[in-house]
Amino acid sequence: MTGQTGVWEQLLSAANAGDARAYGRFLQAVTPVLRGIVRAKAGGLGEAACEDVLQEVLLAVHLKRHTWDAGAPVRPWLYAITRYKVVDAFRARGRKTDLPIEDFAEVLAAEAGPDPTEAADMAKMIGMLDGRSAEIVRKIGLEGVSVAEAGQALTMSEGAVRVALHRALKTLAILRERHVK
Amino acid sequence: MKTDDLIRALAADTVQAPPLRTTLLAGLVPSMMIAVLGVALTLGFRTDLGTVMLTPVSLARIVLTGILGLASARLALLLARPEGAQTARVWPLAAVAVAALGLLLWAWVTTPAEARQMATVGKTMTTCLVTIPLLSVLPVAVLHYTLRQGAVTAPLRAGFFAGLAGAGLSAAVYALHCTEDSPLFYVTWYGLAIAGVTLVSTLIGARTLRW
Repeated sequence: MTGQTGVWEQLLSAANAGDARAYGRFLQAVTPVLRGIVRAKAGGLGEAACEDVLQEVLLAVHLKRHTWDAGAPVRPWLYAITRYKVVDAFRARGRKTDLPIEDFAEVLAAEAGPDPTEAADMAKMIGMLDGRSAEIVRKIGLEGVSVAEAGQALTMSEGAVRVALHRALKTLAILRERHVK
Repeated sequence: MKTDDLIRALAADTVQAPPLRTTLLAGLVPSMMIAVLGVALTLGFRTDLGTVMLTPVSLARIVLTGILGLASARLALLLARPEGAQTARVWPLAAVAVAALGLLLWAWVTTPAEARQMATVGKTMTTCLVTIPLLSVLPVAVLHYTLRQGAVTAPLRAGFFAGLAGAGLSAAVYALHCTEDSPLFYVTWYGLAIAGVTLVSTLIGARTLRW
């Protein structure tokens, strides 16, 4: 128990101190667990819709990562955000779900299916961003280029790309909420 | 967009909001200084503040409202974290309430029956009921802003403690001016002013602290 828990704490504190690689590893590590939770609670929502909800949860975790207290364990914090966002997402989709947090401990991690559930939702939302922001999110997300490379391609400074990316992700979170509701 | 692609985009975003404690202190400290300055310049501090500090029953008013404000601000900060709603303990507030009611009872018993009404109504009830909510506006706004930067999972409760915190601290500042030393007065009217601010803050919080 302490083994795995300890790793998440280390990764997230490194991430919050500015280590982007540690942050990527943190997100990779928690995603299967969060996916398992979403699927277990979703009932007959379908895997594609579950993946949508999962992405909403990940966006929320991302935008609220400064609310984690470095001295506290990650799991209660992470599960509280997940619970809040999952209930919210299901309500928005016309479903009700009851999520006792204690159940989360028993959920098994789930890997993405063999046929990745590519939800059209997120692509649509990115299309609603302004041209340049959409371009930045696509380049870094889909093409996997670095912030510096994206800056060169778009003739923007690295700092400007960072700020634009952050704004774009914030906007995406808001857009998704509005879109579903 | 696949989830892995989203994760890549998220990991590349290194812009991060400051810790909540920093946000709160950066707003709350200046707004309390403004409150102190505002009271000093408009109403003026009471002239016998030195004596007040040595008189337990007068001092109690400043100490109790101050503790109420600080303890509530801590709770609000805790509730700004998503898991805070599960760990928040409210007994320090209950202790303040019991102490205030104890003072009220003690004053009721020790004040002669014919003087009770005068002691309760006092002379500055209106000033008190207007000034405390007025002083609360800025600190409560700062608390709500901090909560919105956080990840509140219990909006009603977070709004409640934000109101209690702002009003408690403001009442402590107002007490530097107010000369009504009978608990019959201050427990009643400070309490009412604090309750009013808290009610409004709770209602606002329930609506605006969802995310």
